[in-house]
Amino acid sequence: MITEQGRVLELLLSGEFVCQTKDEDAFRYLQSSINRQEIEQHLSLLNRRLASAAEGEVYFAAYQHLADNERKVLNQQFQEVSAHLMPMVEWLLMVQEAMDNDMPLTQGTIIRLNQLQTVIEDTPAYAEQLAKISRYAMFGSKASELDAQLKLIFKRLVELGYLVRPNQDKQIYTATGKIDYLFDVLKFIDETENLSLSARAEDAISQTNLI
Amino acid sequence: MNVNLNKSGISLLNALSNHSELIMQAYFAGTVNEADYSPKVIQNLIDLKVLWRPESEVELRLRPALRTLLEESLQDEHNRQIDANIANLLATLKTQAEHYKEALSNQKYHESQAYLSDLTEHVYTLTETLATNVRLLWSRISNEFGYVSSVDAKIRENELAQGQVTDLLNQLTMFRFDELSQLAGNHRELRHLLVVKLQSTFATSTQELSLVQGKLIELLGRFREFKGRTRLLKGFVLHMEQQPDFKPGNYASLTNVPSLFNRANGIVNRAAPDVNYVEHEFELADIVNNLKNINRVWSNDRQKQTLAPIKVETDHSIELADDKLKLAVEAYFCQVIDSGKTLKALDYYQSEQLAFDPEVWIYQVIGAYHGLPENDKEYFDIATYGNVDPVYVGNFIIEDVEVGLR
Repeated sequence: MITEQGRVLELLLSGEFVCQTKDEDAFRYLQSSINRQEIEQHLSLLNRRLASAAEGEVYFAAYQHLADNERKVLNQQFQEVSAHLMPMVEWLLMVQEAMDNDMPLTQGTIIRLNQLQTVIEDTPAYAEQLAKISRYAMFGSKASELDAQLKLIFKRLVELGYLVRPNQDKQIYTATGKIDYLFDVLKFIDETENLSLSARAEDAISQTNLI
Repeated sequence: MNVNLNKSGISLLNALSNHSELIMQAYFAGTVNEADYSPKVIQNLIDLKVLWRPESEVELRLRPALRTLLEESLQDEHNRQIDANIANLLATLKTQAEHYKEALSNQKYHESQAYLSDLTEHVYTLTETLATNVRLLWSRISNEFGYVSSVDAKIRENELAQGQVTDLLNQLTMFRFDELSQLAGNHRELRHLLVVKLQSTFATSTQELSLVQGKLIELLGRFREFKGRTRLLKGFVLHMEQQPDFKPGNYASLTNVPSLFNRANGIVNRAAPDVNYVEHEFELADIVNNLKNINRVWSNDRQKQTLAPIKVETDHSIELADDKLKLAVEAYFCQVIDSGKTLKALDYYQSEQLAFDPEVWIYQVIGAYHGLPENDKEYFDIATYGNVDPVYVGNFIIEDVEVGLR
């Protein structure tokens, strides 16, 4: 039998984001500072340390010292993340608007695929948007039917860890902490590159109001 | 008991139950469509002060008192009204307490009982109002203002609720327990109502309200965060539209990598089974026993092979080289024909000094005899020499055969 500590270590070492939705027990385990210290000790053997993002909503393993090999990995990961940014942002906006509650996705948000599909099918603008999103390299769909595009996108998002599907028999998905992590990344880019994205959006909204 | 009041109360309640559908429709729609109901019914309800017309030429509406009753009984989340006229209630309480004390000191016990029951009623009303208000606030918090859809509206609703909490808390400061306890003096009943009962209500209410306030502020923060996130998403899309070739700088190659981008890769892979580990013997044996698909995999492979394209080629004629053993047996049979005498197989074997295994040789002779066409077979006869098996009954071990012409 593997101990809880071992299980959490295994999760972290497999490169997973541990959040409440993904694995509630592991997340709760990591919330205790004593447990965290123990985990840190084990991780440091492998040149890793415990890191958290999204105001402590997600935990993941980070490198302790960066040598060439580690940098190579980080570079590759960064390329991946920045390639995912645009498709993810468009997808997040579409889901948020289609679900009609004006709430951005966050850890624990429940998405009912059938419900979403109905809305998208009834709204040509969403259907077009979906087709556009599904053709990004991140999803790489060649399908022309809406149903196949949507299923592929969700399947891929589960593979990448942005969503989980608690019950395999049902088309109900839950957003994980990785989505909050993505928001952190966006925020970081916004601040570092001085993009002032919020102000831009605000301007656009007020302009439409004027019209 | 006032008979008239009793009677009209009952008739009011009956009217409510008789026209419950009309009332519920008015509750949900806000107004009554007069064309749907008979004027008599409408007039009756107006007379009973169930419906009213706020202005001439406007549609009929439910009386606010009835609407409040329904909202509270149904715990309808649309009920956003917090009614907290505590100052007024407190003043009433004080007046009634004075009445009660005066009646007691004048030894008018009947009157004093009436005042006391009124006072009790008021105290309970006050506690009930406070409890209802707090419950209302909580119900709004627990579904996160689900009755409005946009985040902006939620923020406004939240601000309204915060204002109400502040009002309630301000009103609660009007409880002056030193005055109340002076007022109650040494009357046991009064003390119980004005000091004990009110104090416990006051304590729970303030406690609950401060919790509510904290929760509301937390929620407001979350809504703001939501708004921020939405703006972030929209801003990013706009930005990408204006600068499609935008790429964030490679933060991973900085000397100090921001902690957000320092993510270790996964290194844990599946462990392999250790067949020498005794404790796992049972499980491993179980797995091996369940290896049913191995045949299926194999047959699949074979099917795949047959699926490969078939090459059409001209067939090469195949010439079978005659077996040496077969030739030797043929020579043996010829010898029998030529000599016309019977010949034992092993004798021929020794005389010709053949190199085969004697057992194979005998077997081949028997085989060749039985393999002859029926017509040819009639010319020959075969005799077998050997022993009965010493152990197993019915087994005959051939040690030699003799072939001759009939």
